[in-house]
Amino acid sequence: MSEIIIHSGERFEQVYLNEPGLDLHFVQEAGSTLKIHVLNIPDGTSGDRDIEISNNIVVEQIGEGCETEIYALAHLQGEAHVTTETHVKHAVGGGKSNQLLKFVLEDQARGRFIGDLKIAPDAQKVEAHQTNRNLLLSETAEMRTQPQLEIYADDVQATHGASTGQLDESALFYMQQRGIDKEKARQLLVGAFMKEVIEAIGEQHSAVREQLLNAIDGVVE
Amino acid sequence: MSKLLEIKDLHASIGGKEILKGVNLTINEGEVHAIMGPNGAGKSTLSAVLTGNPAYEVTRGKVYLKGQNLLAMEPEIRARAGVFLSFQYPVEIPGVSMTNFMRTAINAKREYEGKEPLSPREFLALMREKKKMLELPDKLNNRSVNEGFSGGEKKKNEIFQMAMLEPCLSILDETDSGLDIDALRIVAEGVNRLKTPENASIVITHYQRLLDYIVPDFVHVLADGKIVKTGDKSLALELEEKGYEGLSL
Repeated sequence: MSEIIIHSGERFEQVYLNEPGLDLHFVQEAGSTLKIHVLNIPDGTSGDRDIEISNNIVVEQIGEGCETEIYALAHLQGEAHVTTETHVKHAVGGGKSNQLLKFVLEDQARGRFIGDLKIAPDAQKVEAHQTNRNLLLSETAEMRTQPQLEIYADDVQATHGASTGQLDESALFYMQQRGIDKEKARQLLVGAFMKEVIEAIGEQHSAVREQLLNAIDGVVE
Repeated sequence: MSKLLEIKDLHASIGGKEILKGVNLTINEGEVHAIMGPNGAGKSTLSAVLTGNPAYEVTRGKVYLKGQNLLAMEPEIRARAGVFLSFQYPVEIPGVSMTNFMRTAINAKREYEGKEPLSPREFLALMREKKKMLELPDKLNNRSVNEGFSGGEKKKNEIFQMAMLEPCLSILDETDSGLDIDALRIVAEGVNRLKTPENASIVITHYQRLLDYIVPDFVHVLADGKIVKTGDKSLALELEEKGYEGLSL
């Protein structure tokens, strides 16, 4: 495990693109900002179809007024399997955390999200949000979501939501009615689902953000 | 004047329930046909079946578009061959921009016709021209398809797409529902400007109101899955006055 300390008032943003697994431990001092993007979006060539990846992200806010943003996206085919665990601990008050994790699963791919959120007894005025949205593109794909919320402070705002669904059939038909074939329509809808995560990448990493967005749009300018 | 669409003894059902029970209709190039009828008569089913909506099953009958077997074509092929549906409830597609959606659609049609795709410059010029016609805002391009649009904007957006794709057969399914009078005028003017001697429209409506703006050559009354009466535009006025009950069938 690598431990990264974000010192008081500092800002750290990182994009982890197709890493073979992550084990990261962040410690945030007062007033620091952490923003990470964990992207497991292999291009679907043969070697990627049976990958097994485990991401473990631990964040501890030990000083007041910290902000944490965690974005994760996995688009998996074949028998690929990705588990992403987040452990976010608000040890002190006045902090914010926001998590958005999305999985797009095709074929027999499997996804797992374990979202562990702790707010310590004295950590008042914390705002913590955790959202997990998943798209299953086949009958045999599988998603498991395990949120674990342990909230010991009473004056906090904490929300979590999880949903797993299929592509919107009415949107597919609408696009077909305009002459777009079903496969392309699926690509557009999947791309739209994925973009929300990619678009969260900040200016510091705009080159990779634009490259990924263009790949999704299949841009030929 | 040549035949554009021929519907022969069309039967269709949804979830095992028969909705269309033998529809016959021939539409020639240059014609506007209104289809009126009470709720549940099968008006929207007809538009769904003509466009290939997979929720419906055709159990009997034939449909030909310019002599080709329409029912054998996938929905996207029907669209590329020139069948356009202005949806009663246009679908919101978050995250797919109007530009990306429209360019994909128009180039799919051009490819089908053996034409080169439009360059980004040509495409954007066409968007600008057609947006102006429907009085749609400039910022439309970057907005997601129908997302957060008002009822009127959604219907204008349907006619905008129709203007972009230049179909030979347009089906307007309750395009007037939910429109205020200004939006109705803009939508109807758009439809009228798109009329040519080579294309035709089916206007499905509940009310005579839309037909003050889009004047039909024929009015058909659809009731219980069949066309039970056909007349000229005066039939719509008669319906407005007497209701479907008062119609001597």
